[in-house]
Amino acid sequence: MTQETIVGLLVSVLEFGTLLYLAALGETIAEKAGVLNLGVEGMMAVGAMASFWIGAETGNPWLALLFAVVVTAAFSLIHGLASVVIGADQVVSGLALTILGLGLAAFFGQSLALTTVLSTARFSALDLGPLSDIPWIGETLFSIDALSWLALSLGAVTWFVLTRTRMGLSLRAVGESAATADAAGTKVAATRLTAVAIGGGFAGAAGTYLSLVLSPGWSEGATGGLGWIAVALVIFGAWKPGRVLFGSLLFGGLIALGPRLQTFRCQDGEDIACLNFDADPTLVSMLPYILTVIVLIILSVRSRNRPSIAPAAIGLAYRREER
Amino acid sequence: MFGYRLARRDKPLPGGQFLAFAIGLAVALVAGAILLVATGFNPIEIYIEMADSAFGGSQAISNTLTQAVPLGLAGLAVAVAGSMGLWNIGAEGQIIAGAIAGTWIARLGPDLPGPLLIVIMLVAAVVGGGLLALGPAIAKAHLGVNEIITTLMLNEIALRLVRYLVNGPWQDPTAIGFPVAPVLPEQAALPTLFSRANVGVIIAAIVLVIFGVFASRSKWGFELRVAGSSAQAAEYVGISLRAKIMTVLILSGAIAGLAGGIRLTSSDRIVEGIAEGWGFAGIIVAALALMRPSGVALVAIAFGALRVGGTAIQTQGVSDSISEIIQALVLMGALAAAVFTAYEITRSGSGTGVPTGAESISGSAEASAEATP
Repeated sequence: MTQETIVGLLVSVLEFGTLLYLAALGETIAEKAGVLNLGVEGMMAVGAMASFWIGAETGNPWLALLFAVVVTAAFSLIHGLASVVIGADQVVSGLALTILGLGLAAFFGQSLALTTVLSTARFSALDLGPLSDIPWIGETLFSIDALSWLALSLGAVTWFVLTRTRMGLSLRAVGESAATADAAGTKVAATRLTAVAIGGGFAGAAGTYLSLVLSPGWSEGATGGLGWIAVALVIFGAWKPGRVLFGSLLFGGLIALGPRLQTFRCQDGEDIACLNFDADPTLVSMLPYILTVIVLIILSVRSRNRPSIAPAAIGLAYRREER
Repeated sequence: MFGYRLARRDKPLPGGQFLAFAIGLAVALVAGAILLVATGFNPIEIYIEMADSAFGGSQAISNTLTQAVPLGLAGLAVAVAGSMGLWNIGAEGQIIAGAIAGTWIARLGPDLPGPLLIVIMLVAAVVGGGLLALGPAIAKAHLGVNEIITTLMLNEIALRLVRYLVNGPWQDPTAIGFPVAPVLPEQAALPTLFSRANVGVIIAAIVLVIFGVFASRSKWGFELRVAGSSAQAAEYVGISLRAKIMTVLILSGAIAGLAGGIRLTSSDRIVEGIAEGWGFAGIIVAALALMRPSGVALVAIAFGALRVGGTAIQTQGVSDSISEIIQALVLMGALAAAVFTAYEITRSGSGTGVPTGAESISGSAEASAEATP
């Protein structure tokens, strides 16, 4: 195993981590407001297709990002209207959003399949001058792109807003007990819709990262289950932005590791840190999902004797007249 | 003073869900037409071709029924769990598990006579689907772990398992590098019923009828609904919730597994995409059918037709994703339309339109549901 392969792996970890973090952070916000959105996979597909389309047309990645965020936020409001305003089951309407999003992305993206995007339309590494020359750290952490930094800052902002501001308190109150929040004068529906739309915007940014950084291009099925991992991460991270970041890097690491395992196989003349067994990349890619199940079980067992850490009103529609 | 307002009906409008489905379908077709026009197609021509390919002649109908089989079984799987208020989001993975189990049997006994091999394969598929639901069932019943996420995660795990199998241990040595398993023995194919439909249609119909009768007429079905509406009530009358959760979730997985077995014995081999989104579509089917087996059958046929139609119009350059878009939009439209089956518009302030529902009398309802001030 050479330094080059390790650096390559670390960069890939940061890239997958960024994508997962953006989507999972958005889902955390929606769930904190009491709206489970199983539409992440579909929203991410819409965002990826939309941003790639604009990126290919204009060559401007920021314009592509903006477009994808707006379009995906608007798209997520379909789930918002169905589950918050109409009061439909969140599971059903979220899954329908995924199916709809995958369908719409495939439909509108059909003509984009063979398009390539100019390298100027991608987010590239920020030039941090001498910082990027530091061995190891310079080649990895200080070589990440603007969107990764943005994701990190959004995480900090989300944590701050959720835990330290009145707005965040209202949002969490709506997610814990809509009736109580309503009685306290918080606009339940408006708060939930906003949270859903923000979650959608974040998923759109994650989609942008997918189609303009991670694997530039668009094809049907490009999201390949990453959206489900984001849903899993929210639970794994116990609805806390900091822990979700840790989970994103861990799961991102597992995803990045899979296809690289072959290069870590022991070869003649090499003795430092190598694998002397065959690990199948496909089986390794199951690990994030298995880990989530294990964590979910641990959380459930632990929460038997103390209050659950999940937002109490998650999944529950709020109809004022049924209070 | 004399405004109109929405009040929740005491009982849903009779036939309301059928109406909601029809409205949903209409909304979806209009939205689909807009998409088609926007991309330069004539929606009327496209829709006529879709309808013709799904219902025009016995071959078309056989195709529609073939697609309706996995949709109906996946929908039933979701509905069985749903009638108790549980969500099995894992039908997609359970279909895969069923197909894996069936393939495993075919690999063990490739020389068994046809009917015997098929029966064992289908039984194995049922067991395989049930096994994949076993974990979530135990976790839910004994530890209170949310079944939505566990079943959802198992989809991805099952998908990667079949990917591993067809790329590794089960890869066809003669298909140089292609990720496919060897073709199944010839006698492992379900016998043809008519045109392109096979006996799977009969199997699915029987299973749906059995559950339809059980759900509405048996003590078991009644207990299920009681447990679904109130856990406390169920415990009070001596229904063991744990046992119910276990049986219902495993049964749900088993039905989805059967769908996988039928798909397998309707095709020549297992492939990575054997589940083709049927499990997820099953959730929409069950939701539209309000978790009733009879409704599941009808919605499955309608969605089967949409799938056949979607495939047929690909020859004209239209993405087959239009059928998925329409399916999802039918649900969204029906959800919106369901407002009118669950609520009624009443005159308020006139004294005659006072609703009897206790929940709509409270003052806050007046304020929130006031349609016109």
